[in-house]
Amino acid sequence: MEGWDAGTKSALTQIPLLSSRAGPRDGEAWKQRLKEEYKAMIAYTTINKTNDNDWFRISPTNPEGTRWEGSCWYVHNLRRYDFPLQFDIPVTYPATAPEIELPTLDGKTHKMYRGGKICLTVHFKPLWAKNCPRFGIAHALCLGLAPWLAAEVPILVDSGMVKHKDDEVTPSQSSS
Amino acid sequence: MDAELLELMRQLEEAQQAKPSMRLSERNVVELVHKLQEHQFFDFDLLHTVTGKEYITPDQLKLEMEKEINRSGRVSLIDLADIIGVDLYHIERQAERIIAKDAGLMMVHGEIISQSYWDSVAEEINEKLQECSQMSLAEIAAQLHIGSELVVSFLEPRLGTMVKGRLEGGQIYTPAYVQRITAMVLGATRGVTVPTNLPIVWNSLQQLLQDIDGASGVSVEGTFFQSIFNGLLKAGAVLGSLRAGMQWTPAVFAHAQKECVDSFFSQNSYVSYDVLHKLSIPQPKQYLQTRYPDGIPLEAVFVHPSMVDMLDAAVSDAVDHGNWIDCLSVLPSYIVDADASKILSLCPSLQKATKSSSAVILGDSCVFSNAFIKGIFDQLEKELDSFIFATNQTKNFKTAPISQQQAESKDVDDDEVSNASVPEKGKKRRGKTAKGGNHDKDEDAHEIVPAKGKKNQRKSKDVGSTGGKKGSDKVKEENPNVPVEWVAEKITSLTPELEEMGDSEELIRQLAMHLRPMLLDYYKRRKNTLLSENAEKRRRLLDSLQKHLDEAVLDLQMYEKTLDLFEDDPSTSAILHKHLLKTMAAPVADKLLHTLDMDNKLKNGVEVDDGPNKTLQLSTADRTSLAKTLAGLLSAKVQILVEALEGKRVDAFMDALRAVAEESGLLVKKLDKRVERSMLHSYRKDLTTQVSSETDSIALLPKVVALLFFQVHNKAIQAPGRAISALISHLKEKLPDTTCKLLIDYHNATVALLSLQAAATGAEGEDCLDDRILSKKELLEEKMPELKSLILGLTNSEN
Repeated sequence: MEGWDAGTKSALTQIPLLSSRAGPRDGEAWKQRLKEEYKAMIAYTTINKTNDNDWFRISPTNPEGTRWEGSCWYVHNLRRYDFPLQFDIPVTYPATAPEIELPTLDGKTHKMYRGGKICLTVHFKPLWAKNCPRFGIAHALCLGLAPWLAAEVPILVDSGMVKHKDDEVTPSQSSS
Repeated sequence: MDAELLELMRQLEEAQQAKPSMRLSERNVVELVHKLQEHQFFDFDLLHTVTGKEYITPDQLKLEMEKEINRSGRVSLIDLADIIGVDLYHIERQAERIIAKDAGLMMVHGEIISQSYWDSVAEEINEKLQECSQMSLAEIAAQLHIGSELVVSFLEPRLGTMVKGRLEGGQIYTPAYVQRITAMVLGATRGVTVPTNLPIVWNSLQQLLQDIDGASGVSVEGTFFQSIFNGLLKAGAVLGSLRAGMQWTPAVFAHAQKECVDSFFSQNSYVSYDVLHKLSIPQPKQYLQTRYPDGIPLEAVFVHPSMVDMLDAAVSDAVDHGNWIDCLSVLPSYIVDADASKILSLCPSLQKATKSSSAVILGDSCVFSNAFIKGIFDQLEKELDSFIFATNQTKNFKTAPISQQQAESKDVDDDEVSNASVPEKGKKRRGKTAKGGNHDKDEDAHEIVPAKGKKNQRKSKDVGSTGGKKGSDKVKEENPNVPVEWVAEKITSLTPELEEMGDSEELIRQLAMHLRPMLLDYYKRRKNTLLSENAEKRRRLLDSLQKHLDEAVLDLQMYEKTLDLFEDDPSTSAILHKHLLKTMAAPVADKLLHTLDMDNKLKNGVEVDDGPNKTLQLSTADRTSLAKTLAGLLSAKVQILVEALEGKRVDAFMDALRAVAEESGLLVKKLDKRVERSMLHSYRKDLTTQVSSETDSIALLPKVVALLFFQVHNKAIQAPGRAISALISHLKEKLPDTTCKLLIDYHNATVALLSLQAAATGAEGEDCLDDRILSKKELLEEKMPELKSLILGLTNSEN
């Protein structure tokens, strides 16, 4: 579990683990899996809120729950920077982790694949593989996106690639 | 669509919409509040808690404090500070404000106490009080941890309303209890019939209470009893008198005392202080004096005047009949000596008697009429002479040690003589010797009247004896020893009835002391007359001695001078010295000794029969003993003189003689030329007439030789028979041969005659011897005119 900061680790351990090994094409089993995903995400959200560490909004865009969209934000120098968020559940899920995309940042940093897919650390994949099928979307967000934002946003802001714009969305309102 | 899934979706949505709890760091908050204060959003002082984690507004603080006070009614500021967690300073400030606003609160030693609290405490106390009838304030104060004054201050307004009881000396009692104690006090004090210290009563009451109440131990203070008692006394519930607030004398006791004293005194006409002490009257004298003003207070008893009358009658009777009386025999048995003398001093007849010196008080209580004493004195006088003479004899040889008693009495005597005007002193001393000085002070204070009497009496005595006193100073140092014992002994033998008395010895002693000065006076007077006679005698004696001494000494000196001629002839010289000492010096010494002895006797006032001045021959032993009787230095010198008399040298004797003479105030004349010549002349004349008239053939020779010697040397000589031949041989050179021859023949014949006579006395009745003596005598008688003519012729031729 090396490679992550203490806050991330403690949050990760608090997220309930999943048990069903099922992908989007597995019918009823996928439903069961989806329920578990929801429960884990609810728990993660609650943990974040109680720790005053709320940093994303997310919701499924189709009833099957294979595509998810939402937003995430990061506070740097007393300013909140909001970014749209989207990803699909791969068919090999849960063996394969979902690829989280931040489309507004596409091309602004090289820690990103084409199409705005974020580059994860070398430690992510083995950990995910080891914990299949116990890790779900909530774990992916916690282990993948949160550290990425913490590492990349300050650099992006300082380099001027990302600008806080008053005429953009107000920090208090979430773009649901 | 699965309902559960939908539900979960909704839940996720809900969870995401939920407001996140905002987290502010303490620093941020502090800064925020600071900012608010800076911008004066508050119109009050925002307070911190002691932990520094909380802010509190003054209103909130006040609210909390009030809540706390209302809850317990009594709370300490420190506790408030702890409970609310705000600094004590703010609590105090707030407390002041709260108390100022609310009249029902008070601040006591850092505690806020409400009236409701007092009420509840008072209720509690009341409950407890009703349970155990009494409580001490100190106990309550200790329980509540407040000062007892405070207890009193809050209890007093509630007494009788909330607390049913009575506050008394630091204790609260229920009325029932007070009533009970009052009853006890009343019972106890009414029961007391003798004077009692009230605290003792209270103690026993306390004991009683404790016994009744058992170990629960309701202790009642003595002061509570006292206050109840004072109330009762004021109300007249108990009768009696209280002294010093403590000593309680019940009325019944005082009454009994009075009755007892009254009855005793009226029956016996005296009452002893001891009796009063037994009745526990503390100051009997004052008590009696105030009750019976006409009574007489004495040392140990209080007597009615009738007793004095009785004694007075007895005394006057005794005085009138020339007798004596011991007033103790008349008075009740336990009137002591001191008191007796005091009563005596009050007797009018005795005062009169002492004033007129017809009676004397001795030994405190005995009255002697002067007639009685005079009788004894006369008898004593007769015996005194013989006694003193007897003692004087012994005294001459050893200076009799004077006993302490005698010395003292002598002192007293002197005092009386020298300060008759201040008799107090002498009297005091005598009082001391008589009684060990027990009551001196009182005596002095009360005996002024008799002292006056005594003084008068003494004065008269002094006047009577002044005649003899003039000389007494001179002879004071040799005052005759008349021991008091002797006088006492004589008195006992004279008046045997005195001895029947209880304390006869002391009394007789007193009488003896009284008589002794008179006797001494008498004796002194006698002695003085004797001495003045003796002085005359002494003078005569010394005169005659001086005269005699002059002659004798001159003679002696004259002869002594002649002895110088024989210095070169030791044997003759020795003989001559001895002869001279024996013939001439011995009488001189004897006379001297004898006269000195006489003088000594006369000086001591001894009567000496002034017989003819016989020149008695004394032996050596007599001389020595006489010499020893003489006083001091004189005695030593006289002894030397006596020794010199036994020696061989005349000049030694002369030296001793001079020393003695000097010591005894006599004169030894020196021989001077003129006197010598006249003496020698008379000596020669004398000798010549003797020779011419001499008939005895043997006695003639020494005289002739002496005359011849005188003619040759112009010096007188005194020689024994043995020295004649030596003298003749000495003269041989100076005289013509015929004369010499005649002398030698005569001498030889004389010697022969003497030896014959000596032989004749040895062998009696031998005719031939007688014949030879006769023939020799005749021969000598023949030669006598020749010898006489030798001298006379010579003198004639000289003349």
